[in-house]
Amino acid sequence: MIDVINNRKIPFWISGAFFVVSVALLLFVGLKPGMDFTGGSLIEVTFAEHRPTITEVQDALQSIDLGNVVVQPTNEMGMILKTRFVSEEEHQQILENLQKAFEVVGNDVPTEEQLTQEGYSGVVLTNKEGEEQTLVKDKDGNFISPEDLVTKNKITEERVETIGPAISSHLRTRAVKAVIIVMVVIILYVAYAFRRVSKPVSSWKYGMTAIIALIHDVVITMGVFVILGKYFDVEVDIPFIVALLTILGYSVNDTIVVFDRIRENLIRFGSNKFIENINKGINQTFVRSINTSLTTLVVLVALFLFGGDSIHYFSLALIIGILLGTYSSIFLASPLLVVWQNWSQKR
Amino acid sequence: MAKDLRKRSQSKIRSKIRWGTAVLLLLLVICGAYDAPAYYNSLAGKISKSTGIGIPQLSENPFRLGLDLQGGAHLIYQADTSDIAESEQPAAVEGVRDVIERRVTGIGVGEPNVQTNRVGSDYRIIVELPGVTDIKEAIGMIGETPILEFKEPNNVPPRELTAEEQKQIDEYNGDAKQRAETLLKKIQDGENFEDVARASSEDRTTKEKGGYLGFVGKNSLYFQYYIWGASSAEGDISQTVYDGEDGYNILKRGSEREGENEVEASHILICYLGSAGCESPQYTKDEALLKAEELYKQANADNFAELAKENSEDTGSASIGGKLPPVTKGMMVPAFEEALMQAKVGEIIGPVETQFGYHIIYKESEAPSKEYELWRILVKKETEFDILGPQDQWMKTDLSGKQLDRSEVVTDPKTGAAEVALNFDKEGTELFRDITERNVGKPVAIYLDGQPISTPTVNQPIRDGKAVISGNFNIQEAKLLSQRLNAGALPVPIDLISQQAIGATLGAQSLAKSLKAGVIAVIIVMLFMILYYRLPGVLSVVALLLYIALTLSLFKIIGVTLTLAGIAGLVLSIGMAVDANVLIFERIKEELNEGKTLKTSIEEGFIRAWSSIRDGNVSTLLTCFILMGFGTSFVKGFAITLSLGVLVSMFSAITVTKTFLRFINPWFKEEANWLFLGSKKNKNV
Repeated sequence: MIDVINNRKIPFWISGAFFVVSVALLLFVGLKPGMDFTGGSLIEVTFAEHRPTITEVQDALQSIDLGNVVVQPTNEMGMILKTRFVSEEEHQQILENLQKAFEVVGNDVPTEEQLTQEGYSGVVLTNKEGEEQTLVKDKDGNFISPEDLVTKNKITEERVETIGPAISSHLRTRAVKAVIIVMVVIILYVAYAFRRVSKPVSSWKYGMTAIIALIHDVVITMGVFVILGKYFDVEVDIPFIVALLTILGYSVNDTIVVFDRIRENLIRFGSNKFIENINKGINQTFVRSINTSLTTLVVLVALFLFGGDSIHYFSLALIIGILLGTYSSIFLASPLLVVWQNWSQKR
Repeated sequence: MAKDLRKRSQSKIRSKIRWGTAVLLLLLVICGAYDAPAYYNSLAGKISKSTGIGIPQLSENPFRLGLDLQGGAHLIYQADTSDIAESEQPAAVEGVRDVIERRVTGIGVGEPNVQTNRVGSDYRIIVELPGVTDIKEAIGMIGETPILEFKEPNNVPPRELTAEEQKQIDEYNGDAKQRAETLLKKIQDGENFEDVARASSEDRTTKEKGGYLGFVGKNSLYFQYYIWGASSAEGDISQTVYDGEDGYNILKRGSEREGENEVEASHILICYLGSAGCESPQYTKDEALLKAEELYKQANADNFAELAKENSEDTGSASIGGKLPPVTKGMMVPAFEEALMQAKVGEIIGPVETQFGYHIIYKESEAPSKEYELWRILVKKETEFDILGPQDQWMKTDLSGKQLDRSEVVTDPKTGAAEVALNFDKEGTELFRDITERNVGKPVAIYLDGQPISTPTVNQPIRDGKAVISGNFNIQEAKLLSQRLNAGALPVPIDLISQQAIGATLGAQSLAKSLKAGVIAVIIVMLFMILYYRLPGVLSVVALLLYIALTLSLFKIIGVTLTLAGIAGLVLSIGMAVDANVLIFERIKEELNEGKTLKTSIEEGFIRAWSSIRDGNVSTLLTCFILMGFGTSFVKGFAITLSLGVLVSMFSAITVTKTFLRFINPWFKEEANWLFLGSKKNKNV
């Protein structure tokens, strides 16, 4: 049996330190808001043969008034451009500039024979001036310009996202609203779960302790993302908010299960051996807490490693939050309950 | 007797459990087949072939994939409803939706989805185009509102300046004049003219060159300074500030030189059908030539002005006897200039052909002109024009694309050119009649998207509500314009405020990656459960498989759109689904440790673990329900799949695992052996 309660000072110091540092980071450095909240544009392109350097790309876009353009290489041949919100015209202008700068139009127009072999077919049409023009059709019967056939290092646009100021401000208010509603609902839920008054600890103390543990989980997760934002340019976007809210919903029940057990023990074995009963409850639920988190963490780690860019940091936030949630429900919530109880008894 | 009864009821329960197990396994097979009909069909085909039993085939019913997985565009437009009364706004926005829907039909591979959405006082239109490859074209189709407008000549005089504006101009100009005089004083006190120009001139084009205008002739833009130049000597600087059209000037004169010859001439123009600017053609080209030749024969120095008045179709000069303003080289079209410059003074030549028609030209005089080298320093004046802005040549009418009934492509029977014919509705017919009645003999302008595309002259009022736009279309352009006009104009302007477009390749990559992550996650979770919990672990794995098959079937039946976030939610729910099994098995372990029999432990374990399972899932479900109302597709996709998963997992982890555990229970003795939960024997606590 692990004596969590009498060794409570260790987790208190560790958590306290992390919590204070995280709050300081949030206040003085702050999270790096992503495009969802600031508005902006993201364009992902791939180059067929040769990827230019970041400066070359920035130079190519110099002529458009875009302000600061952040260019990040991605995958093997891709590049992600992040700019302020651009209109559709500006977006097309950006593509055009990139094509002009990096696509190479060769002059070795393929011969008819080569074309036929590759499944192309030529169609001769007469234009308005009465001149004959040869147009090339590909396998699917679409007309293609002869230029396309000889263009080297063709640029393909893989992804565009633009978020205007109206949308981003809307998302901001929505996110704040969602966070507030989830908080309120969780508090109500905790109050409901501990609605039956039990001795010697009053029900609202269980609830408050559970919520303190939750705040601890969420604040430290945010603290980690402040550091990620500062040193690895990790931005906080809608998925991050969703992750935080999911942590709230998932972690609160870990604490509830431990508390449930403690309450059960207190009723069954009496409140004389208060500390012993609490320790017993923690140990009874220990394996269960670890194992449930473990199965969830396993799938999250798989998503983090293999799930692709879009859900990379989303899964990371969940991993950190669930780790913290499991830790806090075992080493933080119950000892806090004891400290509080002792303190109020002394008074 | 009692024992007998117990046995009978026991065997009843037993058969119930057997049936339950069979039904669940069958459910697993059916759901699996429904999820992956391709595999099922090929397998069923093989079995049918080898055994001769006809096994029915399933129809393919693919999962609905989100835009981020199959590629496509998600566009959000904001409707500008500021010009519309509030009560009519919802209808107008619905109108926008209908028009956009018509325009995007057939773009991309899937069915486009157009929705309206109200956020506060803003109306948004969300357009989803699955599988669209050319997003640029799609945006073009949606956004390019063909705004058709009809305009008539603007006869409304510009408004008068208000007293306040007049005062503002006077004050500004008084100040400007003073500044100019200060500059002049500086120069008179010995400062270099060019230096002052560089420092203070407000003429941006000449400022850098010290105010140098170059050689200025009679016909240059700077005619008014030419006059000053003519009355001054080389090196002179204007004594006073010279009040010009654009501002106050300080002028300086340099050398003089011989300029181009200046020619005075009159002409008679005979235009024909198809020549440039011919407003009311009377002749074909051949007839025009004949007429011109006839006039040439008649014309002499005395009757030229008279003939021009009667016959010339150059509306600008006919009334003054064909007289042209004095011209120098470079001011006329090449053919006309060449002929005029070669002719002798007093000679009448013709017919000369230009794009305007045939000209008879009378060269009256030719004299060399002087040009003076000038510099100037400008201090700008403010004029009425600066405040009122340019006077528009055209005036808007109430007739627009709104009153259009339909349009079609026609060809001009004479020239074969493609034209777009318009048929107005009742209101439009009346408006068009009024406009044409007001403007007989005058041009009206047809504007498309803010550009004039045709300015026909009204010969007679048109009362049948039919008009033809004869821009310089080719047949494709005419067809497209007609189509767009028929699709209808947008009732209110829209603005693209967000777009998300994902290429099909990237979508497929994301799908493959997330599926890979999901499969790896499931395998690890299963291995963990089997290694840690042994036989019950195996049962929970079967339950998990049934859970996955069932959830996927539900996604298909309900029509849940699978996005990347949705798959993440599903995978996460798999991790959470086994949580229930962990809770149950741990509880069973505890009960066994307390010395209870296997059967009792199983039953107790389920009952005792239930409250924890319920509580744990309720908090996650609550969060999910709140998130579903968030509105963003990422959040919705995640919340829907996670909550569906959590709900199904309650069924699978409890009912399914319980049935399986009860099913295998009689295979073992009262005490659990090593196959159960790692405890070989009941340990003493």
